Amino acid sequence: MQKTKLGDQIKAIVGQDYFFDSYEDRLCYSYDAAIEEAMPEWVAMPGSVEEIARLMTLANTEGFPVYPRGAGTGLSGGSVPLKGGLVMVLTRLNRIREINQEDLYAIVETGVITSALHEQVEALGLLYPPDPASMKVTTMGGNVAENAGGLRGLKYGVTKDYVLALQVVTPAGQVVRVGSKCVKSVSGYDLTHLYVGSEGTLGIITEITVKLVPAPEHKESMMAIFDDMNMAAKTVADIIKSGVIPATLEFMDNTSINAIEDFKKIGLPRDAQAILLLETDGVKAAAQHEAEKIIAVCKANQARDVKSAATEQEKLQIWEARRTCFSALARVRPNTILEDATVPRSKIPEMVRGVTDIANKYGIQIGNFGHAGDGNLHPTILTDLRNTEEKQRVQKAIDEIFALALSLGGTLTGEHGIGSAKAKYLENEFGPEGLAVMRAIKTALDPNNILNPGKIFVADTAIA
Amino acid sequence: MEFMESQVEEVIRCMKCGNCRETCPVFLITQDESQVARGKIRLIKAVIDRQLELTDRFQDKIYNCLNCNACVTTCPCGIEVDELITAARAGMVNAGKPLPGAQARVKANVVVHMNPFGEPREERGSWLPAALQTPRLSPNLYHAGCAVSYATSRTGKALIRLLQAIDFDFTSMGSQERCCADPYFRMGEQTLGRELVEQNIADYKRLGVETIFTSCAGCLKAFKKHYGDTFRVLHVTQLFASLLKEKKLVLAKSLPKKIVYFDGCDIGRHSNVYEEPREVLQAIPGATIVDFPANRENGRCCGGPLMPSHPDLAKRIAAERIAEAKVMGVDMIAVACPTCLVNLKEGSRLVEGAPEIHDVIALVHRLAGVK
Ligand SMILES: Cc1cc2nc3c(=O)[nH]c(=O)nc-3n(C[C@H](O)[C@H](O)[C@H](O)COP(=O)(O)OP(=O)(O)OC[C@H]3O[C@@H](n4cnc5c(N)ncnc54)[C@H](O)[C@@H]3O)c2cc1C
Repeated sequence: MQKTKLGDQIKAIVGQDYFFDSYEDRLCYSYDAAIEEAMPEWVAMPGSVEEIARLMTLANTEGFPVYPRGAGTGLSGGSVPLKGGLVMVLTRLNRIREINQEDLYAIVETGVITSALHEQVEALGLLYPPDPASMKVTTMGGNVAENAGGLRGLKYGVTKDYVLALQVVTPAGQVVRVGSKCVKSVSGYDLTHLYVGSEGTLGIITEITVKLVPAPEHKESMMAIFDDMNMAAKTVADIIKSGVIPATLEFMDNTSINAIEDFKKIGLPRDAQAILLLETDGVKAAAQHEAEKIIAVCKANQARDVKSAATEQEKLQIWEARRTCFSALARVRPNTILEDATVPRSKIPEMVRGVTDIANKYGIQIGNFGHAGDGNLHPTILTDLRNTEEKQRVQKAIDEIFALALSLGGTLTGEHGIGSAKAKYLENEFGPEGLAVMRAIKTALDPNNILNPGKIFVADTAIA
Repeated sequence: MEFMESQVEEVIRCMKCGNCRETCPVFLITQDESQVARGKIRLIKAVIDRQLELTDRFQDKIYNCLNCNACVTTCPCGIEVDELITAARAGMVNAGKPLPGAQARVKANVVVHMNPFGEPREERGSWLPAALQTPRLSPNLYHAGCAVSYATSRTGKALIRLLQAIDFDFTSMGSQERCCADPYFRMGEQTLGRELVEQNIADYKRLGVETIFTSCAGCLKAFKKHYGDTFRVLHVTQLFASLLKEKKLVLAKSLPKKIVYFDGCDIGRHSNVYEEPREVLQAIPGATIVDFPANRENGRCCGGPLMPSHPDLAKRIAAERIAEAKVMGVDMIAVACPTCLVNLKEGSRLVEGAPEIHDVIALVHRLAGVK
């Protein structure tokens, strides 16, 4: 069918106000927070599950690609329409349907903003722990599709640990329910966790049931300041070894500290080589006891100082500041390329040292920060991609960072997803056999390869 | 279209994190990426890269911005979005692209009548007492601004009675007062803006003006931003705050109400005046003063700047603010900007049981007990 005709059909499904095909509008859906961009042919904002199902049926019959999109904050190009087709913006489905205090779950539509759910459940004394730094703008669907982690991941786990059930529209336009709102369920295959982290390649998630937990009664927040970055990294491994699992254990190097301080001016130590931001929580006595143990470990590792946040305001400031770290790094150079290769936690010191060596070797600037307690650092390359020679050095450095992580028993991505940029490395992690199993799943669920083609698998190789 | 080198760098530095989606009032209503700073910056980049012409659609999106600076506060990359948007508008003007309808009307009105509403020039000062109709030498100049002169002159009258009652020495340009030039700058007519600024500065200098105080937050912003540092510029609430401190002004009557102060963008984020209006309200006997959850530099815009071009959107944004205030259970919203006053009142019609809305100046006048 002709493109204009297809556009008319899409428009007929979602209505004129929610259909865009001008260059200007399409351009604004050609990117996410990663580097690569591509233009869609159409953009549609469906307002119901039924509209989504009709759009999928149309796409599957006519064979045009569909790129699901939440807030477009992805860091692996997940929503970027590499092969044109339709960008399906899912933010209109944004109702919190139920918060159940007896059974401790919440049911939300895909477009609900993560922190909006936080606010609602916290008002009831409950907690939905996943808290990606981008939570004030991300959608719940985007979090599920990327299996987002967050600052509290260390103690509480990541998105997948909270998803109980999903409603999904298949590429053929069928509406299916997977999982159960029971805490335990082993009925059939665990399809819920197949869709979690599927990066929009297997189905459109429309409704999510998540587990809630009681909010901790007390929190202790600390900042440990180091004159030696390697000692800070060693502290991370030592804290885990000491038997304490803090709720949060974030690492920031000197470049990151200064970028944040330029933005937020909250008095971070600009001269420190690294800081660790820590939080323990739970019953007051336990949280305090754990905090004491942590302080002792920091001191034993030559922390220059360990400061405790005295007021609620101070705590909020620290975490607010941490959340802006990545974007604040964009102040330093024109482009920021953030990786999230992850290693077993005991390997954090080696990883930190290795990244520094790589930066020195290629003469590039890398700001390092991240969820160190999870083994999940975010080495962020600060560069100017207009400089082609520098760009080549950057590419080599990226290759080496991934090789280093894998050699330490790590993984390519801790939370941002494979998307397009990392697809070429995936085989290095799982071998051709592992990749073949993944492909088989993709082919079974999306035989016409219309959902998010070009992601996870190197373009054109998704279907054998 | 010409951009400065530094602006091109800004555009490139946007790392597309999307943090601006949290606070952009236009985006929060439309949910459309092309309406948020990240989208607009991407469009500007396309123009810089010569991938996009200065189309009507581009123009419409670039003008559909409140210049409220919420995104500037939220932007961790530190991008001066407001400057970029204004530069893009100026670029279109310089390239000869006709202004969109609403802006063209505003421009014609300022050119002909020296006010954006098209009200007759000769009636500008008609609300003023005779003594203030013509300017005279004084170190203190009261600039009413177009909105107060034509739309909310009750506020202006209250202020003047109050200042006369406490023997405060000041003059006014009276019927010769001109627009502050903010509308020109905002629509991208930089040359017209600068000419008007020069004319105004020359007048003020002739009168020996040292301090300009204004009841209009938009004018305050313009004076601070475009008039150099020849004059000390104050918002009336700042003047009140110091008069209260010096006990030259006393609020005698009590008002046992719960009042929330609304941080307008022009007086707040653009001019950095946050505390004095609150100090004035706090001096009201019996009143309880509270803050919106998002206040001061995080305050949310009323939507007013879009009144001429996108009236429905402006009203819907205002209605959201009113609804927020209603949830807080306040009796009254106090504002320090005529645009906020007018637009919030518009928006309050969409919300049942909306709190009252008053200008701080009018409140002070009422409670100071001056006739
Ligand atoms: C400053 C910054 C900080 C960040 N911090 C973190 C962090 O701490 N932890 C972390 O994990 N991530 C982080 N991210 C990455 C990003 O915010 C997350 O991946 C987030 O989950 C993406 O949500 P989104 O709504 O923006 O989704 P999008 O970017 O729009 O989409 C992401 C992927 O999900 C798919 N998708 C979206 N909705 C659906 C749906 N309903 N059904 C099927 N597929 C769908 C898309 O196709 C795409 O593949 C950060 C990003 C930025 C810019």
